[in-house]
Amino acid sequence: MSVYSLRHANRSVKLAVLLFLLVLGYAYSFAFLMVKTWSGLTPTRVSATYVPSPGMNEMQMSEQSHATTQPLDLGKVPEMQHTVDTNLLIQDSHIHVMMYAVVAALLTLIILGLDWPAWWRDTMIVAAFATGALDFVGQWLMNRGLGGFAWLTILSGWGMALVYLIVLYSTVRTLLPGRATESPS
Amino acid sequence: MIAIALALAATLGATAHPTPKVVLVKHADFIRQTLPDAKRYLLRTVTIGKEDLAAIRKTSNFTPDDPDVQFFLGEGDDARTVGVVLFQQINTPHGPIEVGLTFGPRGAITTATVTTATVETKPWVQDAVGAGLMKRFVGMRQGDDASKALGGLDGKLGGMPQYMAELIATAVGRGMALYGTLYKESAA
Repeated sequence: MSVYSLRHANRSVKLAVLLFLLVLGYAYSFAFLMVKTWSGLTPTRVSATYVPSPGMNEMQMSEQSHATTQPLDLGKVPEMQHTVDTNLLIQDSHIHVMMYAVVAALLTLIILGLDWPAWWRDTMIVAAFATGALDFVGQWLMNRGLGGFAWLTILSGWGMALVYLIVLYSTVRTLLPGRATESPS
Repeated sequence: MIAIALALAATLGATAHPTPKVVLVKHADFIRQTLPDAKRYLLRTVTIGKEDLAAIRKTSNFTPDDPDVQFFLGEGDDARTVGVVLFQQINTPHGPIEVGLTFGPRGAITTATVTTATVETKPWVQDAVGAGLMKRFVGMRQGDDASKALGGLDGKLGGMPQYMAELIATAVGRGMALYGTLYKESAA
């Protein structure tokens, strides 16, 4: 049984829920562009952004510097590789993890009003919070040199998208005209 | 509905959110604009050895992140080097800043420009640049104290722009140390 019924809720509540979900999707589309531009969508690019460079290995370093010179095509000069170091990751984490929690809490408020079985409701609530947390767990593990955890960050991103889409789909179905008189299961 | 869901899922596939960088001047544009007499461009990659690393640490108290340092050379009609460009990055809690430095044939800085900032740092960087900071580095060479460029800015900048100015001066100091130690005109 639901904590409340979104289907039987006040019209203003339904309007607010629908607009929140639509604007959240709008925001997510820009989040995608941001990720695509500055972090990348493949494990290789994501790990290149978050895994620190190996740095100086003085044991293997020769005594003298050596140089190579080659012709340069100005049309192929790469821009600075965007990387995220520990300080920047702290900065990113402190705001994003909090916002993920707020979004997960708001999605939970909607989930509580959907006519879902309790086990499915709880699963989705856990998924809403866990995927956001795991996104940054992956980033921190990469920051510790474990590049393979790029997959964790990418999969948690997919997970967040999936939770959002399931909630959106169920909400729209619940709010469709003609369903308001149905009794909750 | 399913099609919309799939399209959204496809666009939300990865959700790591880095602080976005802002390219203020593209590398190629900086090289071209600050080496106007160049007819040909070369890329010299210097892999740092132990002796030079010790010298860099001694002069600037810093250890480069990457053992490979790139210099962008411009050659004139007579195949003589008309200038050398180096891009020096410095990390901040608000994202990386990159400074482009052009050194003339006599080894002094002819141009210093912030080439990359981030969405957060850009306005602070612009305040520092607007106060005339970058012109103060012109003429400096290895051994000079880049922080002297901050001298005339006292009271002109707010807290964060002043902090950015200090970071930019640090980047310039490191760039001068790398250029002065690693760049040899006769290198291969």
